[in-house]
Amino acid sequence: MIDPELAAVFVGSTIRLAAPLLLAATGELISERAGVLNMSVEGMMLTGAFAGAVGSWATGSPSMGLLFGVLCVLPVAWLQAFLSITLRANQIVTGIGINILVLGATTLGYRALFGSRSRAEIPGLDKWAPPGLADIPVLGEHVFHQTWLLYAAAVLIFAVSWTLRATSVGLAIHAAGVAPQAAANSGLPVNRIRYGAVLFTGFMSALAGCFLSIGDIHTFTEGMTSGAGYLAIAAVIFGNWRLGRTLLACCLFGAATALQFQLPAMGVEIPNALLIMLPYVLALLAVGGLVGRQIAPAALTQPYKGH
Amino acid sequence: MSASLDWKRLQPGPALWVSVASVAGALVAGAGMVMLMGVPVGDAIAAFADGAWGSPYALAASINRALVLMLVGLGFVLAERANLTNVGGEGQIAVGGIAATALCLWPPVASLPFGLAFIVPMLGACLAGAFWAGIAGVLKVKVGTNEVIATLLLSFIAIWMVYGSVQSESLLRRPMTTSATLPESLEIPVATQLPLLLGDPSVPLHAGLPIGLVLAAVVAVVLGFTVLGLKLRAAGLNARAARRAGMAIDRLSIGVLCAAGALGGLAGACMLQGEQYTLKAGFSSGYGFDGLVVGLLARGSVTGVVAGALLFGFLRSGGINMEMVAQVPTALVVVIQGLIIVTLAGAALGIQRMEGRHA
Repeated sequence: MIDPELAAVFVGSTIRLAAPLLLAATGELISERAGVLNMSVEGMMLTGAFAGAVGSWATGSPSMGLLFGVLCVLPVAWLQAFLSITLRANQIVTGIGINILVLGATTLGYRALFGSRSRAEIPGLDKWAPPGLADIPVLGEHVFHQTWLLYAAAVLIFAVSWTLRATSVGLAIHAAGVAPQAAANSGLPVNRIRYGAVLFTGFMSALAGCFLSIGDIHTFTEGMTSGAGYLAIAAVIFGNWRLGRTLLACCLFGAATALQFQLPAMGVEIPNALLIMLPYVLALLAVGGLVGRQIAPAALTQPYKGH
Repeated sequence: MSASLDWKRLQPGPALWVSVASVAGALVAGAGMVMLMGVPVGDAIAAFADGAWGSPYALAASINRALVLMLVGLGFVLAERANLTNVGGEGQIAVGGIAATALCLWPPVASLPFGLAFIVPMLGACLAGAFWAGIAGVLKVKVGTNEVIATLLLSFIAIWMVYGSVQSESLLRRPMTTSATLPESLEIPVATQLPLLLGDPSVPLHAGLPIGLVLAAVVAVVLGFTVLGLKLRAAGLNARAARRAGMAIDRLSIGVLCAAGALGGLAGACMLQGEQYTLKAGFSSGYGFDGLVVGLLARGSVTGVVAGALLFGFLRSGGINMEMVAQVPTALVVVIQGLIIVTLAGAALGIQRMEGRHA
């Protein structure tokens, strides 16, 4: 019999670990649906994590940190959009280039600003629980008592889902990613839609990065995203470019990570390394077609030559 | 449009000028950042030069680093010819390192005669790398999985495999005599270490270097002068047409990824048997991605791979010394690399247009 408190802790930490993936993967989904494979989501998250931490540390207000994080990611997202849409550069190469650039720049910035005061505690976002739910025994404390950004993320993701399904904006994104020429013929500004999609990915990745640094552990460490952005991309593929399945994949990856902390507490001896690599193995199995044949947007990674 | 012979690519065409300008621009930007940090640029450059080529030891260390980057870069260029993007160099190095360590520490191997003691682990590392990249190849052919995603995920898995294998005594961790025993493997026996070319430990050039240079020549010849090279190009330019023409595209794709992985695995063996001698978690850190960058910059040319590998070999070694002596974080080198990739990727369309006008 599993201890209910332990189970609640597990669910709570799964949600907490999945949250940055949920945000980043939702953003990534939008730009992939519009036809841009945005490999720089890792770099955007790292920028967000760093800028969020700096903003929060400098102003003492985590909300200002969040704002600063988003503002700093937008130029990074714009660079990705400019290179891959306007200059029609290889989307994968630009993405990896931006990730390397950001890794170097944030490490430099971190050393310059914090120097020897590494691992400084940074003011973090407040925790909050929906009234009513907070009073449920066990669950209230371990599951619902979360950073408010998590609840904001849930609202945002719901809004994205509605936009994709029920609005003309969603239809335009879909058209830009599946049949850009036809979309352009019917008067849609394909490249402008794609710019918007990439900038939106930047916004969501910034929130994801801030969640890591000022939402979760209240500090910044060099290269702290350590592959989370790539996991978000894997989640989109796992999800077959559909929002519901993508979110499910994020929760699965989050649960696999949460097991690292949970299993030792339950007295199960499994090598740590196996658990750390589990999300990547799951992602590989997913992209390896164990969850059915994947159908990508038809024009994914293809630049559009018109306007 | 693109020249098949490497010497043609060395003619000062737009691509070469743009590459040189991009590297120079990134270096200038790096110097600017050094200035912003309040470190005298002269001091930083002196520390850089000292670490990169200031002594025979530093020079040899830079060349050893360049060798690893060259092997990974060759693998990238080889797969790129068939329009496959192998970003899994890091993981291929890692599995190569694991395989080489395991074989070196297996007593029957260390007692093999005629230099087989160090050759067998190298071959094992090649096989391990080939297998690792081959997974991505099989997935690509059978399921249509994008090889970029697959090789990248395989890299993350392999990096944690190294970590796991030096955590457990039943795997490769050295016997724990005290609680202070580090999570790393035993030092490999002398017989399995790569022989030093000059027999002098103060100039640590090892036998991996001539092997690597021969392989670079082989890759250049295969790509430029053989039917296989032509088939790879055909598969890369238009896989469907090549298949109609009767080429076994699937086998070709898997094969070329395996070859790329074997080169990555060999790079891991060179690092382990030539320099480090013990397997540690994170031993491959950054080498795979540097090698990937070298491959990207080369734009399909083997000469370009060699030049790029030397550039980054010196950059990294110099950067490390700059951090130790002049207190300039080595992350500066990472920024410079990022700038180079981003500008070259952005310039690709312009280069294509200029080449079109010249041709």
